[in-house]
Amino acid sequence: MTKWLGHSAIAILAALALPAMAKSWQVDPAHSTLTFTNSYQGVEYTGQFRRFNAVIDYDPNDLAHAKFDVTVDVTSLDTQNSERDHTALGADFFDTAEFPKAHFVTTAFHKAADGKVVADGVLTLRGVSKPVALTVSFKPNGDAATLDVTAQVKRLDFGIGTGQWADPSMIGDGVAVHGHLQLHGAK
Amino acid sequence: MPLRSNEAGWGALVRAFHWLIAALIIAQGVIGLSMVQMGVTPAKVRVFALHKSIGITILALVLLRIAWRLSERRPADAPAMPQWQRRAAHGLHLALYVLILAIPLSGWWFNSASNAPLVWFGWFDLPSLTGGLDPVWKPRALLLHQTLFWILVALLVLHVGAALWHHFRQRDDVLRRMAFGPRKYDGEAR
Repeated sequence: MTKWLGHSAIAILAALALPAMAKSWQVDPAHSTLTFTNSYQGVEYTGQFRRFNAVIDYDPNDLAHAKFDVTVDVTSLDTQNSERDHTALGADFFDTAEFPKAHFVTTAFHKAADGKVVADGVLTLRGVSKPVALTVSFKPNGDAATLDVTAQVKRLDFGIGTGQWADPSMIGDGVAVHGHLQLHGAK
Repeated sequence: MPLRSNEAGWGALVRAFHWLIAALIIAQGVIGLSMVQMGVTPAKVRVFALHKSIGITILALVLLRIAWRLSERRPADAPAMPQWQRRAAHGLHLALYVLILAIPLSGWWFNSASNAPLVWFGWFDLPSLTGGLDPVWKPRALLLHQTLFWILVALLVLHVGAALWHHFRQRDDVLRRMAFGPRKYDGEAR
């Protein structure tokens, strides 16, 4: 009996000592997208990054242990206009020869006044790291879930298209980013 | 000069359409051939936007011109012209109308298939003819746009050559009745 109590105490202590883990999710790349909307010559257009990796640890009831860690293959840019894409990957814009990857990692999650979950994080793009906040919408569905995140990013903050290309009437400064992730439970 | 055309000459509106569209086509050809040589800069983007805006302007003017032209009679052919010349002249004019409609339309089509913006002088957007990127028709529309342009250049050589031939060799009224300014032909060599 004493032995049993001792073992239980050790087990409970061990459980308390271990860092609590939010639920880990696998991203289904075939049904997940990372899109953005910007303007070119005053006309709105939508583009996407076709390849990205996202590590998602998220439990809506345990925001303290939530974490998103996303790496984007910037060369997978597609705005449905090959000339524009070619220019965008060049040195004046994303400069993928020098900076092929972009990285976003969360630093803290909190609930905003309107009840929405906000993920604060740091975006590293074209060698520049700046804080970026995501608005998080998480919809569980049995063993799966849908995660939608949106963010407003300013391209000029990251040195994308500066100098002669800085004019926002030619290329808008504001970029609305939308990640749509189809998740299923980790095995 | 009357606004409407009559038996003796073209009306003021037809002449205005003719010379305005002629000037825009020449400018458009020069811009089009130059812009494709430019390096990728904001200036290139603006020159492309200008080319598109002028092209849409030409398309609209040609449509108005055709509508006006169908509403009135045309002057008689020069009396000295044999039948084959009359047929050739009318055929060439019809071909020019077809080309100056088809070239801006093929440019619009290429622009649409490329998923590029089309904003008329920064004022308003024109719709896409393809509903977004169309990688199959994009190169075909460009080839058509370029081919029709060079056919237009060839036909304009004939058109201008024929006008000058009428004026300087035949010494008839054919060029004068489309021009602004000079008095009606009075039979004297000038």
